[in-house]
Amino acid sequence: MITWTRRTVLGIGLATAALVAMPATAQTVTMWHIFGQPSEPGLGNIKRWNDANPSTQIDHKFIPFGQLSQQLIKGIATGDVPDLITIDNPNTASFASLGALEDLTDMVAKSSVIKASNFYKGSWGVTQWKGRQWAVPGEANTIALYYNADMFRAKGLDPDKPPKTWSELLAITEKLTDKSKNVYGLGFSAIQNEEGTSQWLAWLEQSGGSLTNLNSPDAVAALQVWTDLVAKEQVSKDALVRRQFEMTNAWTGGGSAMVISGPWELQRMKDVKFDWRVAPMPVRDGKNIQASALGGFVWGIPMGAKNKAGAFKVIEFMSLQPQMAQAWLGGRLPPSPNVVIDNPQFPAAYAAFKKQMEFARPRGPHPEWPTISAAVQTAIQEALTGRAKPAQALEKASKVIAPLLQKNPLPAAQ
Amino acid sequence: MHSIPVASALGTDRLSLRYRFDRALDSALIWPVLVGATVIFLAVFIGYPVIYNLVMSFQEVNVGNLRSMHRPFVGLANYIKLLDDPLFWVVARNTASFVIGNVVLQCLGGLALALYFAQRFPGSGWLRGVILAGWMMPPLVIGGVWKWMLTSDNGVVNFVLQSLGLVSGKIYWLSDPAMSLISVMAANIWFGLPFNMILIAAGLAGIPQDILEAAALDGAGPVRRFFSITLPLLAPTLYALVALSTIYTMRAFDLIWTMTHGGPVDASNIFPVWSYRLSFEVFDFGTGAAISTEMLVIVFLVALVFVRSVRAESRI
Repeated sequence: MITWTRRTVLGIGLATAALVAMPATAQTVTMWHIFGQPSEPGLGNIKRWNDANPSTQIDHKFIPFGQLSQQLIKGIATGDVPDLITIDNPNTASFASLGALEDLTDMVAKSSVIKASNFYKGSWGVTQWKGRQWAVPGEANTIALYYNADMFRAKGLDPDKPPKTWSELLAITEKLTDKSKNVYGLGFSAIQNEEGTSQWLAWLEQSGGSLTNLNSPDAVAALQVWTDLVAKEQVSKDALVRRQFEMTNAWTGGGSAMVISGPWELQRMKDVKFDWRVAPMPVRDGKNIQASALGGFVWGIPMGAKNKAGAFKVIEFMSLQPQMAQAWLGGRLPPSPNVVIDNPQFPAAYAAFKKQMEFARPRGPHPEWPTISAAVQTAIQEALTGRAKPAQALEKASKVIAPLLQKNPLPAAQ
Repeated sequence: MHSIPVASALGTDRLSLRYRFDRALDSALIWPVLVGATVIFLAVFIGYPVIYNLVMSFQEVNVGNLRSMHRPFVGLANYIKLLDDPLFWVVARNTASFVIGNVVLQCLGGLALALYFAQRFPGSGWLRGVILAGWMMPPLVIGGVWKWMLTSDNGVVNFVLQSLGLVSGKIYWLSDPAMSLISVMAANIWFGLPFNMILIAAGLAGIPQDILEAAALDGAGPVRRFFSITLPLLAPTLYALVALSTIYTMRAFDLIWTMTHGGPVDASNIFPVWSYRLSFEVFDFGTGAAISTEMLVIVFLVALVFVRSVRAESRI
């Protein structure tokens, strides 16, 4: 009899615990996001919402950036999806075309806050697929040229004149490379993942080439520049396996004079002892096409979310000026040119990145972006390791990419 | 029929409960319970995922139909796609080199270390414990540290080699396609070595000392004693170890992911890495599942061979 009673008590206890743990879906918006640091502006914005809306609380969970897609997929597989999620922008079209996201077109049409005119064209563009709206831009970022002004001076270069064209960049890189001191002129990431793709695409677009004509002389020129820089040991061969932040580590440690990376690196610049600056990406001589990569996340509502209306209200809140303006504190930019940030931290770098944002080009949107990106990565790596000439490597990649673009063409360049 | 013995008025209940429990454990009726529990456990935690994966490998699965289960069956298309991919043979060769290299060197290294510490010098037990520390760390940390050490420009490995005058130029440990597989292998061998050492040390401890002493008295030197007594008696342990190492290395992922991402140009790409990439970077779950199934078959065959040989060995 005693055991029976105990079991009963235990059962009641578990049932109570389950009830308490169960979220009250009507008053909650569940969110998965990439805001890992306590100082992240995203977390501050969530708090603002929760303080202002006691009846609808955001129940949020952090997912590391690299695991976002995987977690969303797991969520879809088990039917346990949040109401709102941050998505790496080039994956939007993939998820949309696979039916993993709710169509937001009607909600956006009725919204007084979310309007195309409020956003950068590139940021807005990646949220579209087949004429429908699948997401709303959250934060944006792009890449530019960080340089060590002290090293410029040491080599007799004017630190106020960063390279503006490819030929200037190549000349300066050669000058700054100092093999006796183990210093490379430049750093970029050519790693076999999405980071490598986005870094090189900036060069591809500057060259006048594009994914649709990957075997054109312009595209080959863009890969040839990278290949030569690595072959001449002016960029470390380790660029093949190092991520952007690791290449920036080498730069902050004095291992290279310049590095190409994004504003997310600024968080640690207060510890950098040398005179550092940021300049926009150089352009190709004779082409003068300003282009850079577009990174950042978008807000999406996963298919099967329980509180769509609540989630959309949160998206609208996050798209208001006061919330968007916080992005810079986290080392990212608002996806809107209209947002004014007063007294930004690192004002010169802010000005450079804001200028660069105007020329940031989206990756895709394309439902098979991951496959396209993988082919580009292989081409980059084949050329940089000397396994294939840039032209051959790109020819091979274009054989993979062309049929995919034939099936689903990329939107015309902005 | 036994009657329940009553020891004293006090504690009668407890005694009889204990007695009944003991009786239940001893009775033949317990077997269905034991078998049932095992079967349920295996079915839920092993059988279900394996079958789910197997089914998925014959379907076209993407993010859109992952939840619905309305997935078109495509027969062997995923497997054919896999075999047609020029990457398949590159990855197969990498995986074979990686697994064979790891298993051979981990077992030999583990044996050497275990014999070394069996020499009972002052502090040998303590030092052996310290060596285990490496095995306790998470693979992501190990991968990060090795990547750092193997940096070609200012990594400690190149620095030491150059300072000693052993190499003249830099070695591109991770970014040279000819080197990257060797580098991740070195890290993985280092990582698995302590585990191998401990298992072999346990096997060594099981060898009766009197046999070794008798052989020594008969004039057998250390080398003779090793090859004629220690090694044959250690054989079952070594077989089991080879099987375990093979299974462990076949699923190596974290170290490679951190150190090279499978690159450059897939030079350090092995099946688990490729499977992850297909499933979670390209969202082609069917083909990713096909790789898993193919790996499962290989691991199963390896395990089978070794289980058989261990059984044969114990019959001698």
